[in-house]
Amino acid sequence: METNLRFSLLISLLCLIAIPSLASIPSRDSLGISPQDVSYYKAGVIKCKDGSKKFNRDQLNDEFCDCPDGTDEPGTSACPEGKFYCQNLGHTPLVIFSSRVNDGICDCCDGSDEYDGKVNCSNTCWEAGKVARDKLKKKIATYQEGVVIRNKEIEKAKLAIAKDEEELSKLKNEEISLRDLVAKLKEQKERIEKAEKEEKLKKELEEKRLKEEAEKQAAKEKESIEASLQVEPKDAKEKAPEDSTEGGENGKKAEVEDEDASHDEHEVLSSESSAEKFAKMTGNQNEEINSKHAEKEISNDDSGHAEEEIDNHKSAQKPEQVSDHSSASDAADVHSEEQQHESASTVGLSKEELGRLVASRWTGEKSAEKDENSKDESLKESADDAAEPAKVEENYESYISDMDDDRYKYKEEESENEYNGDSDEEYADDHADTAESYKSDEEYKNDYSEEISTTGGLSWIDKIQQTVQRVFQSFNFFKTPVDLSESSRVKKEYDDLSSKLSKIQSRIHHLKEKLKRDFGKDKEFYSFHDQCFENKQNKYVYKVCPFKKATQNEGHSSSQLGQWDKFEESYRVMAFSNGDRCWNGPDRSMKVRLRCGLKNELTDVDEPSRCEYVAILSTPAMCVEDKLKELKQKLADMSSSQPASHDEL
Amino acid sequence: MSPPLLTLLLFSLLLTSPTSTSAWKKEEFRDCNQTPFCKRARTRTPHSIPSLSVSSLFLSDGAISARLLPSQPLESPSDAPSPTPRALILRLSVYTPGALRLEIDEDYSDPTAPSHRRFRVPDVLLPDIDDRHKLYLPRVSSDSAGVTSFYLPYGFEAVVHHDPFQIQVRRASNKEPILSFNSHGLFDFEQLRTNKSDGEEWEERFRSHTDTRPRGPQSISFDVSFHGADFVYGIPEHASTSLALRPTRGPGIDFSEPYRLFNLDVFEFLHDSPFGLYGSIPFMLSHGTKSSSGFFWLNAAEMQIDVLAPGWDDPANPSPNRIDTLWMAEAGVVDAFFFVGPETKDVVGQYLSLTGTPIMPQHFAVGYHQCRWNYRDEEDVDTVDAGFDSHDIPYDVLWLDIEHTDGKRYFTWDKTLFPDPVGMQKKLAAKGRHMVTIVDPHMKRDDSYWLHKEATEKGYYVKDSSGRDFDGWCWPGSSSYPDMLNPEIREWWSEKFSFENYKGSTPSLFTWNDMNEPSVFNGPELTMPRDAVHYGDVEHRELHNAYGYYFHMASSEGLVKRGERKDRPFVLSRAFFAGTQRYGAIWTGDNSADWDHLKVSVPMILTLGLTGMTFSGADVGGFFGNPEPELLVRWYQLGAFYPFFRGHAHLDTKRREPWLFGERNTALIREAVHVRYSLLPYFYTLFREASTSGLPIMRPLWLEFPQDKETFNNGEAFMVGPALLAQGVYQAGEKSVSVYLPGTESWYYLRNGAAYKGGVSHKMEVFEDSIPSFQKAGTIIPRKDRFRRSSTQMVNDPYTLVIALNSSNSAEGELYLDDGKSFEYEEGAFMHRRFVFSDNKLVSTNKARINVGKKKFSSECVIERVIILGLSANAKKAVIEPGNIEVDIELGPLSLRPGSSPVALTIRKPNVHVADDWTIRIL
Repeated sequence: METNLRFSLLISLLCLIAIPSLASIPSRDSLGISPQDVSYYKAGVIKCKDGSKKFNRDQLNDEFCDCPDGTDEPGTSACPEGKFYCQNLGHTPLVIFSSRVNDGICDCCDGSDEYDGKVNCSNTCWEAGKVARDKLKKKIATYQEGVVIRNKEIEKAKLAIAKDEEELSKLKNEEISLRDLVAKLKEQKERIEKAEKEEKLKKELEEKRLKEEAEKQAAKEKESIEASLQVEPKDAKEKAPEDSTEGGENGKKAEVEDEDASHDEHEVLSSESSAEKFAKMTGNQNEEINSKHAEKEISNDDSGHAEEEIDNHKSAQKPEQVSDHSSASDAADVHSEEQQHESASTVGLSKEELGRLVASRWTGEKSAEKDENSKDESLKESADDAAEPAKVEENYESYISDMDDDRYKYKEEESENEYNGDSDEEYADDHADTAESYKSDEEYKNDYSEEISTTGGLSWIDKIQQTVQRVFQSFNFFKTPVDLSESSRVKKEYDDLSSKLSKIQSRIHHLKEKLKRDFGKDKEFYSFHDQCFENKQNKYVYKVCPFKKATQNEGHSSSQLGQWDKFEESYRVMAFSNGDRCWNGPDRSMKVRLRCGLKNELTDVDEPSRCEYVAILSTPAMCVEDKLKELKQKLADMSSSQPASHDEL
Repeated sequence: MSPPLLTLLLFSLLLTSPTSTSAWKKEEFRDCNQTPFCKRARTRTPHSIPSLSVSSLFLSDGAISARLLPSQPLESPSDAPSPTPRALILRLSVYTPGALRLEIDEDYSDPTAPSHRRFRVPDVLLPDIDDRHKLYLPRVSSDSAGVTSFYLPYGFEAVVHHDPFQIQVRRASNKEPILSFNSHGLFDFEQLRTNKSDGEEWEERFRSHTDTRPRGPQSISFDVSFHGADFVYGIPEHASTSLALRPTRGPGIDFSEPYRLFNLDVFEFLHDSPFGLYGSIPFMLSHGTKSSSGFFWLNAAEMQIDVLAPGWDDPANPSPNRIDTLWMAEAGVVDAFFFVGPETKDVVGQYLSLTGTPIMPQHFAVGYHQCRWNYRDEEDVDTVDAGFDSHDIPYDVLWLDIEHTDGKRYFTWDKTLFPDPVGMQKKLAAKGRHMVTIVDPHMKRDDSYWLHKEATEKGYYVKDSSGRDFDGWCWPGSSSYPDMLNPEIREWWSEKFSFENYKGSTPSLFTWNDMNEPSVFNGPELTMPRDAVHYGDVEHRELHNAYGYYFHMASSEGLVKRGERKDRPFVLSRAFFAGTQRYGAIWTGDNSADWDHLKVSVPMILTLGLTGMTFSGADVGGFFGNPEPELLVRWYQLGAFYPFFRGHAHLDTKRREPWLFGERNTALIREAVHVRYSLLPYFYTLFREASTSGLPIMRPLWLEFPQDKETFNNGEAFMVGPALLAQGVYQAGEKSVSVYLPGTESWYYLRNGAAYKGGVSHKMEVFEDSIPSFQKAGTIIPRKDRFRRSSTQMVNDPYTLVIALNSSNSAEGELYLDDGKSFEYEEGAFMHRRFVFSDNKLVSTNKARINVGKKKFSSECVIERVIILGLSANAKKAVIEPGNIEVDIELGPLSLRPGSSPVALTIRKPNVHVADDWTIRIL
């Protein structure tokens, strides 16, 4: 081998003569060794860096791997774990895997990795280095400017956070006073109500007595009874003050729609004899309703296929019967239930539909989306066709609002102080669900400052206290009958103040949540809190709202790519997770990689793996001073390693 | 619950159901009971149908001809009365080495015979078998009345019993039977008819499909018995955890379907089922301590095969040393071969002498392949390619699935995603890497698609039963299928691969044939209707199982042609048939990312290897689903030993390039891929052996240890060639596995060089960095231990020889090499060395026959290291002859991995040339 190596070195030497542009090939002793390591290899007996063994100096770069970690072969490909250093004068030094040494491919711009003479690598370090330096210079310029912007942002953020904190503490104080007032008013209100109740009871007894008397007098005193009855509706209303009119209306609306829907369904049912047959077959009412839904959809589809499709849906609903039915003519025996269920899903499709359906097993989402689209279309058509709009979606909505109302009621029953403590979480949940729930800071402020703007010398809370005081003073509990105007004033005041209180509490909650956020080491991401960044790619608009969520919008439809999760890789990546579910895939998620740039700009949105999105956000927040120093140092290194004649600095 | 709420719930259930239903759609496929010919044949009892007798037997042209006629009519109440039977023509001929051919067909000279002929599968048997292998029978002997016998090679003879008709192959010396045909009287041959009998229905309905069956019933069934057999194997493709074929009927067997051979695109196939998958090879092997034999039925129609448990015919008298089988096919003729062995390796060789030995692949194809449905665009390709480089993981081929095309029109590119395919391929080629694009048989029915236009105009598509171009649904939507049975159409198809026709292709681009069962999404059982019509008025039912074979053949020929017949082709196919081994590789189709599928990959690939498909593999990682990192790592460790080593993943799965699972897992996968790359010289030598002898690369243990009963049904461990044994790890968190090491010699554990006794099961601790693998004592394995980007850069790298000494301190091995790409090796441009270690010296000699051809191949490669396991001497020096050069011996590691410790004597830098004869003597 000794001879071999000498031979190859000789070739390298020849190459050196032949190609003057080639940088001088280091001797075997220094081949592939980085400057920092030169002294390490000086000794006569050298240790493998992993400590596993020792080797003699003549085993250094002798094309035989002695150290499993590659220490003895920095300049050859003999060790799989080895690393080769190329000096790349005029550019940046590079450390490459030893698997690249003499493999026929030029990896180092100085060509030093290919010295066995099989290929000629020209030295491209100067050109490549110039390009790299220019690029680096541009980058440094960006950083320099960016660092300034970033520092300004940090200052702004610090001020804003101080302001937020100040506001928060002020609001907390106000909340305490206000809560106190509301409690007092509530007590007052309850007492009034109690008094009113007693009064009413008394009145009723009185009336009863009068009535008994009146009965004796028969028709003559009819008018007086009527007059007393007139009071009753009002009482009834007062009995259930919590029952919000909105909720009531919703409930009613839902009812109406139910009727509409079933009416509509009924029409479809009677027009489709096969559907009717099926409905009878099921017997179970729930399934009947369900199947009606499915059929309704279908009936609006291409009428030519309607029958077949209904068959198909029927089978999806009620597999046993359908397959019995469809395979009745089939001489073959059918074995398992599972089989029947499955068979149901494809029998009766047109050839094309069957093809699409089967293809969709592999491609999943595409056809599923298609199905949904066609469903939407058919629903739209049904809305147009039918006299009364009775969409499934509306039912769905009314169902949701029913649920919401229920939840509110439940909450109120459970706790008097519904906006305190634990309910914070629920508050957050409620809002996370709705699409337009992310109010900006300004919006939040406006929400409550409209009504509670400060006027005159007194703070609004002082004023309120005065007002309440007056209300209390003017109300006499022991006076009967209760002064109706006074009692309604108390109630109104209570309603107003508790509404104000809830707004303040909501603002407090918001501020607390905000101040809990991780805005980065220097709070450099503070301004992201109320910003969203958009990027348009073909038909999609991607919207990234840090600390909130990321979405993909196409026209009016929107899918959530993820809710805010956290910063990753020491603030280099923003992670959004638990987005909308993906067919046959993971829940959608998004990672936004941050880069130094002069303005906030979302670019390069991509989906490298199904339902896993990545994007790049340029932002001054990433233009860190340390990195700038590092880049400057790199440039200095690059420039200093250049031949003097080429010095460009 | 209010109605709207309920509706909503059910509605959402309906929408999400695709994810929750069990995946395999059993009901979409016919079972035996839904298949009249199968149901009928399967319910028969032995000797219950009228038997046939042999008459007018005579020798003609060295073969036997005879007529088969009904014996004395036997009253059979069970079977429907058949019309007056015509005679059948029987032909028996003998082939070297060791095959008896049996042909039974209609007598077309009979005036009452229909003009239509039964289909005989063309182009599967080698064209010259009659010239090269057919033996001229000079005479037959009739020792007693009604029995004719004649000579077979290797001391066997064939015996024909005239009435009832039966054929037996037996040892001439002791008359012990090896194979018999119709010994249970189940032979049935439904003759062609032109008229239906009264009330008879020829149509067959399955689900919404109607098969018109214009030619009526024409099935064939018969029984074949394997005597002296402990197990039977073969008849791929089925997914099974058992290497040996489990009985499907008989005492103690739960209800089972027969093994079905019907090429189908099965969505999320079960890991243990006799149902048919993507390919069919109707070739069964038997093995026992007494004898090994084989049976091959050349028939491309749907086939169902029962393996009958002893006692199935007579529960009172089970015959333990015989395995009976029942073969049923929907159409075709009897064209069957009995292989006499006597060793299984002989059986395999006998089968391949007729159907052809496996193709010698290009060297790059033996490396690692990286595939995904789909690498989306050129940038994606760049990124993945760069990922391998930056993680120092070698790979040779990057694959593009269907999405690279312009709307699934094959031979085109999506112009937005792949604007510069030539540039992209050149970039890869500059690093010695190759690319594969997919080319499927379904042609988009789009008049603006040149290929469709051409095929339509020329009338090159398969026709439906009414004579129009068959129109089925596949990836592009409405599609038609070129009629690959027609040699003219195959010729036309192969032209499409030329660089001029396939725009954007370069010499580093190769081909992948998928969906060639053929897959038809809206067809019966997801394939083409049986009454579709091919060239020569052949019904699809008659050739179904060979459609993908002809397609593969034409594509492979296309690649040969485009390179002016200089370069070897590489075409991967999913569908296959007997003979596919001549055209390229196959893989086991759309498996799933679970441990069961990891496990069944081994019996599946072993079975393929036994039946000639030596170049095969399973998708590493599993196609459907997301493998947990541990499974992925274990799969790479196992897949590194598959003959075809490719990672692949479904469109919906998470990215799973080797470096995406953290540093540790990246290192583990790199290590697994490195194992493969270091063994490339050994693998390539095995590929050469396969291409000459047909011996599989991945072998069942019993193929190497035919007398070791312990191994007969071991489907978890396997041999790679004669020297390596690997045992998969098939469970998560496995701490130890039991490994049975066959034979009497010891085995060297490749993780630390320790010797383990043979003939014993060892409980091996399992490590995360490798699956247990051993080198058999007495073998020499050539390796290359330097790692490169791809195998291309390894050409000049030096070798390592690993010698594992047996109890007599000797070992042997070989090394084959050639230019790795051209056909010049056929003209002698190769090198085949033989290494023998004995008497403390290693000798390298030429194994190649001299004067194979005019061309020469040379290599400058040297051997940089010789590792000797089991050498007890305290050797310090070795001397190389010629030259009398002294080199050092030291203690070195078995492989150059971080933290490896010195365990074996290593000859340091002998630097002898692989091309030369030399001797290294240990001092």
